[in-house]
Amino acid sequence: MHISEGILSAPSLTVGFAGTAVLAAATMRNLDMEEVPKISVITAVFFVTSLIKVPLGPASVHLILNGLVGVVLGWRAFPAIMLGIILQAIIFGHGGVTVIGVNALMLGGGGLVAYLVWQQRHRFSFKKREFVFGALAGATATLFSGIILALALVTTGEAFNAIAATVLAAHIPIMLIEAAVVGACAEFLQKVKPDILAGQQPARQAG
Amino acid sequence: MALDIDRYARTESPLQRWDPRVKIFSMGLLILAIALLKTIPMALAALVLALAILGVSALPRHFLLHGLSFVLVFLAPFFLIMPFTYPGDAAFSLLGLPFAWEGLRLATLIFLKALAIVMVTFAVFGSSRFDISMLALQRLKCPKVVVQMLLFTYRYTFVFLDEMRRMHTSMRARGFVARADMKTLRIYGHFIGTLLVRSFERTERVYKAMLSKGYQGELRLLVAFRSEADDYVKAGVVILLAVIMMYSDLNGVLSPAEEGWY
Repeated sequence: MHISEGILSAPSLTVGFAGTAVLAAATMRNLDMEEVPKISVITAVFFVTSLIKVPLGPASVHLILNGLVGVVLGWRAFPAIMLGIILQAIIFGHGGVTVIGVNALMLGGGGLVAYLVWQQRHRFSFKKREFVFGALAGATATLFSGIILALALVTTGEAFNAIAATVLAAHIPIMLIEAAVVGACAEFLQKVKPDILAGQQPARQAG
Repeated sequence: MALDIDRYARTESPLQRWDPRVKIFSMGLLILAIALLKTIPMALAALVLALAILGVSALPRHFLLHGLSFVLVFLAPFFLIMPFTYPGDAAFSLLGLPFAWEGLRLATLIFLKALAIVMVTFAVFGSSRFDISMLALQRLKCPKVVVQMLLFTYRYTFVFLDEMRRMHTSMRARGFVARADMKTLRIYGHFIGTLLVRSFERTERVYKAMLSKGYQGELRLLVAFRSEADDYVKAGVVILLAVIMMYSDLNGVLSPAEEGWY
């Protein structure tokens, strides 16, 4: 899910780059050298798994998984997703070079929103907690990105309203798929390697 | 999947010999100019220019076609949706849907521009070794951390892609078939989780090995960038063409200026 090259106007492209620069600077503060490989790994996995196709009726959709990046990396999800988008733009021509800013805001912002949702799990305590909040995080990330994408199209011109509506509608099934996958993945990681997840609290003493 | 963009970086051509710093900078300006074009004749000119650049680059055709096929698929919906949804007067009806030429014009413009830009990007990054392109970015004041992460990610991508294929093969060997149901999605969730855990542990080992070999968070290559007169001549030509395109696009020298959609 990307905005393609050649659609947006100069102001939108500028807003995209400016917003991305600000968010990248904010989310990369106090970055440890040791974190660099960790972020890169998640970016690479995000990049590779976005090639997975999920059957959906007669067609198939690609996973986005920006919510999962938020669940695993927390605030650092933003730089991770931004890097993924830069690489996709220069290797695949997915999206494009001039829309790196807008796409990073759209998908990276979704990652940050997912992290906020994911953190709410500490307020609750029930058996399927990680699944439920992972799923919510995955769904909100997709929803957020879909809304930003639609907004970017609508503000470009009246001619794009129909495309924007189509895009938003297409996001509903994707949202459900993302929710199921991210939820299952979060639950799995909680069982297998909980310290990989973002925002873990030290285990409370039993009793 | 053609992930190794720099497969043909060793082929000899003026593009490959171009100093990567100057190349990235001037081609970046060209891409920006193309992205802002508003008229179809100029977008066509940009496409011709992009084709010429690719011609000079001596990159094999099958390599390019593979990379460009994605753009075609991605932009097809614009042709299907925009002519029928453009607000205003419809020229005629097609299968009961109002068809507007203006919508088709818009879709064509977007298509031409996107294609031209992707071609130029391909020419830039396909004609230098990836690590050298990244070092050039670093010299162009791109933050070191970002360059480091891009390099790491690029390297890991190949490793993980192999890992993912192996895992997928073993999954299918055990009888997994992807269906549109909850179970498939759950399995994919676990699949991705496993890939994450495995990759993570591998990276920890790699990172320790790198530290013990003296890694200090910076890329060091035995490459010295040297820019000579002809590097700047190439840059001058590219930037001049970009400026001419922008100018005639705005003022309608070669084609009547049209009201854009913004």
